[in-house]
Amino acid sequence: MGARADRREAITGYAFVLPSFVGFVAFLAVPIAVVVWLSFQHWDLITPARFVGLRNWLSVFADDRFVRSLGITALFVAIAVPLQTAFGLLVGVLLSRRVRGGGLFRVAFLIPWISAPLTLGIVWKWIFAPTDGLLNAVIGQRVEWLASPQLVLGSIIFVAVWSNVGYVSLFFAAGLGAIPEQVIEAARIDGAGGWQTFWRIQLPLLRPTTFFVLVTSLISAFQIFDTVYALAPNGGPRGAADVVSGRIYHEAFQSFDFGRASVMAIVLMLILVVATVASRLYFSKRTEYELS
Amino acid sequence: MRTSTRTFTRLIAGVAGLAALAVGLSGCSDSGSADGAGDTTTVTFRIWSDDAVAAAYEKSFDAFTKANPDITVKVNQVPWANYWDKLRTDLSAGGGDDIFWTNAYNFAPYADNSKLVNVSSKLSNEVDAWEPSAVKQYTRKGTLWGVPQLIDGGKVLYYNKELVEKAGVDLTDLAWNPEHTADDTFLPALKKLTVDAAGRTADEPGFDGSNLTQYGFNASNDFDAIIGNFVGSNGGLYQSGGKYTFASNAKAEQAIEYVVNLVDKYHVAPSAADTNGNGDFTRDQFLQGKLAVFESGSYNLATIHSSAKFDWGIAPIPAGPAGRIPVTNSIIAAGNAGSKHADATLKVLRWIGSEKGSLALGASGSLIPAVTAAQGPYFDYWTKQGVDAKPFVDGVADGTLKNDVIPNAAATADDLTTALDEIFAGRSNGSVAAALKAAQTAANAGLSE
Amino acid sequence: MRRSSRLVDTVTYTVLIVGLLITLVPFVQSLLTALKTPEQFATSPATALPNPVTLQNFGDLLARYGFLRAVLVTLAVVVTIVVVQVTCSVLAAYAFARLRFPGRDVLFWAYLGTLMVPAIVTTIPLYTLFAQAGLRDTFWGIIAPSLLGSPYAVFLLRQHFLAIPHDLLNAATLDGAGTLRTLWSIAVPVSRPIIATLVVITAVSHWNNFLWPLIITSGGDWQVLTVATASLQTQYNGNWTLVMAAAVISLTPLLALFLVFQRQIVSSLAIRGIN
Repeated sequence: MGARADRREAITGYAFVLPSFVGFVAFLAVPIAVVVWLSFQHWDLITPARFVGLRNWLSVFADDRFVRSLGITALFVAIAVPLQTAFGLLVGVLLSRRVRGGGLFRVAFLIPWISAPLTLGIVWKWIFAPTDGLLNAVIGQRVEWLASPQLVLGSIIFVAVWSNVGYVSLFFAAGLGAIPEQVIEAARIDGAGGWQTFWRIQLPLLRPTTFFVLVTSLISAFQIFDTVYALAPNGGPRGAADVVSGRIYHEAFQSFDFGRASVMAIVLMLILVVATVASRLYFSKRTEYELS
Repeated sequence: MRTSTRTFTRLIAGVAGLAALAVGLSGCSDSGSADGAGDTTTVTFRIWSDDAVAAAYEKSFDAFTKANPDITVKVNQVPWANYWDKLRTDLSAGGGDDIFWTNAYNFAPYADNSKLVNVSSKLSNEVDAWEPSAVKQYTRKGTLWGVPQLIDGGKVLYYNKELVEKAGVDLTDLAWNPEHTADDTFLPALKKLTVDAAGRTADEPGFDGSNLTQYGFNASNDFDAIIGNFVGSNGGLYQSGGKYTFASNAKAEQAIEYVVNLVDKYHVAPSAADTNGNGDFTRDQFLQGKLAVFESGSYNLATIHSSAKFDWGIAPIPAGPAGRIPVTNSIIAAGNAGSKHADATLKVLRWIGSEKGSLALGASGSLIPAVTAAQGPYFDYWTKQGVDAKPFVDGVADGTLKNDVIPNAAATADDLTTALDEIFAGRSNGSVAAALKAAQTAANAGLSE
Repeated sequence: MRRSSRLVDTVTYTVLIVGLLITLVPFVQSLLTALKTPEQFATSPATALPNPVTLQNFGDLLARYGFLRAVLVTLAVVVTIVVVQVTCSVLAAYAFARLRFPGRDVLFWAYLGTLMVPAIVTTIPLYTLFAQAGLRDTFWGIIAPSLLGSPYAVFLLRQHFLAIPHDLLNAATLDGAGTLRTLWSIAVPVSRPIIATLVVITAVSHWNNFLWPLIITSGGDWQVLTVATASLQTQYNGNWTLVMAAAVISLTPLLALFLVFQRQIVSSLAIRGIN
């Protein structure tokens, strides 16, 4: 009886997974396989592909600019993701209290996330413009936010964090709201103050939320493109904003060297896999409780 | 809880209904690219997004369809910023529109890989009707690869009459000279037209170049509007034989350094921080009345005409040691060699290369047709608007910058722009000449990969 | 006790309002630009107020630039994708969370893995496939890649299905319900808020999708809003007043969607810490 039920369950499982599996194979797995194949070819889209073995791989790893872009992207991620998570947490905490007009705040904070990144980039470009830009008009100083190699990455980080805080805060606000009242009460009865309750009860209980937010933020931050493309095309002043996606785009659509672009994409993917697995290990060691 | 369940279910049902409707609608209007009922062939014609040009073509194609009822032409506009990505992608999969616009920077790889219709053999009788400079620009190894559609003509100086009169400057016959400053009348004129926050002009002592209220000139990292013209007028060679020579060719290097000095040494132009990566800045400053002399091409004529609130005029570009030699460009409509309607495509190509086909284009005033016989309407249009547009074609009388096509220029174009941006921003390591040399070497290295 | 509570409230409101201002400034700028005439935009600084205020940009978009059709196309695309994709993702996520079958976990991680490949490179092979299948410039061409489920959605839903108490689902099975019935009558209603959120997230990301629709369509018939907006910019002219008006038009339906769903969304995003 058990074996038959098991088999039936397995068949149901496969049946449920089937539609998305078809999509997964046809529209994701196959193109990715082609990308892997392309990494060993030389292809400029209009002449036939030519097998070149490991040449693309070697040339990409020897490419200073690509390696440097990995560093710049890592720097971007290392600053932007914690910042947007921290601010998102702050706003989430504030919104989970009974605030008047909370609904409107939530919608307003989400507007950056629901806008098309390319048009946002244009508007930020005006705000950051050295002459007649809104920011310089407000502070009364002429600062070259996007033209200065020292400031450009910071400006881009600001825009990226700004775009994502609302979205992150929603997850945290909801996560906090899901913690049962009794747990908070119990802590208070035990004499814990507000800060202690937050740090030692709520924050740990937020770990699954934090995990999801961090992983998805990491994946999307490493791939940042639209904002950088609008604010600092082709790497910005002295290449200070040269991110990996920019290099991939350049390789694919300006040099039309699809072999190298494929290699870069695979390298990026491997980095993300490592980062995701690392996050999972960090979090799974610490998520050992259940709220029934 | 129950009411919200019901509302939710209703919402889902409504959405599902809408989805079904959407799918149904899409099925109905799914025209597809197959030939419609009867024997009409649809030829697709791709340009980069420009409403005025599209409208002009549609007029022209209406006349074509009247004469050829079995062929309709559909004009597709593709965003300029993505035009080349999409063209390459489409052609790679054997698709793409039957005819498409292309410029000199981009057409060579397609020509070399037999993706384009051979115009010099298929339309050999028509070649004489077209502007010779355009024909030359798109002839590779003796073959012409498209039907020239528009020419830029030369470049001019748009100027703000009020500011120029106030400064007492005459722009009609200026000359610039990188070696003999005594012969340079251009720079002194620009200095008189540049004013700082304290009201001092650039030729007065105590002038503060970092705090300008009025710019004299739009010198910036813009090859088509500025750099190319100075290089040409100095008798220099920017690129030749498939490689960049702007640093190794002494006259070219000298000309570029002259322009950089206008920005960084004499401050008669806005700082590079404002103009790098922002093609609109100088034009907008001109339109706001804050920039006296704006060197540009016919492509800005319409905007300036409609937006400038002050009296403006057109003067010839300053003459360099070799004369008034601007950079000029043209655009062709290339036929897709992989098109499924080769005969219809050829007919359309013949049409747009003819005087009748290009009349609507010129008459719209939005571009100068490359079909020489159809250029009259363009000038008539602008005369009616009160503007004499002849200086655009007169400006090439001394000749144009020799600009051999570099086949895979796209590979290093962006990096080259960035390197030049840095030089204009005053961030060169060492002298301008050395930085230019480094930029040229890097750009050429990237080409040969 | 009361005083510190008031202090905390003041700090809360201050932070929220400052955050709100910083958040909204770029949108105010967009809106103001959309209300200016192109002449005014060219001839006065970007920070100037519209004078005169004009609705002509919006009118032009709808009448001359085919934006009405772009809105309808985008709406059709988004609605179709949302309905089908969410359904497929729910099925798959439930299977990954609650059913046992060989290869389940490997498959799930493979799904996740595909999230990590930049779309730019997969677009080209995908396009070649579609071109050969004759799906260039068609409605189905636009929606097909996203129709049958999304790894992100499956990830999110699986976490939630994992958190549904066992007893709840076992009760249904004991009553003789099959898997599908359990899913439909227990799991889905309980997960209604997260599904609502997923609907919104999916709608937003496909409404703003640019790269794939750009590559797969060509010309006016099947232009979606993002492509139509990009088309407004010519080679020498950014047409910023039109572009900003287009941005406002694109944003409004999403805002409306949010206002309707916002309570659902917030109550739903709780991700519980089990397994």
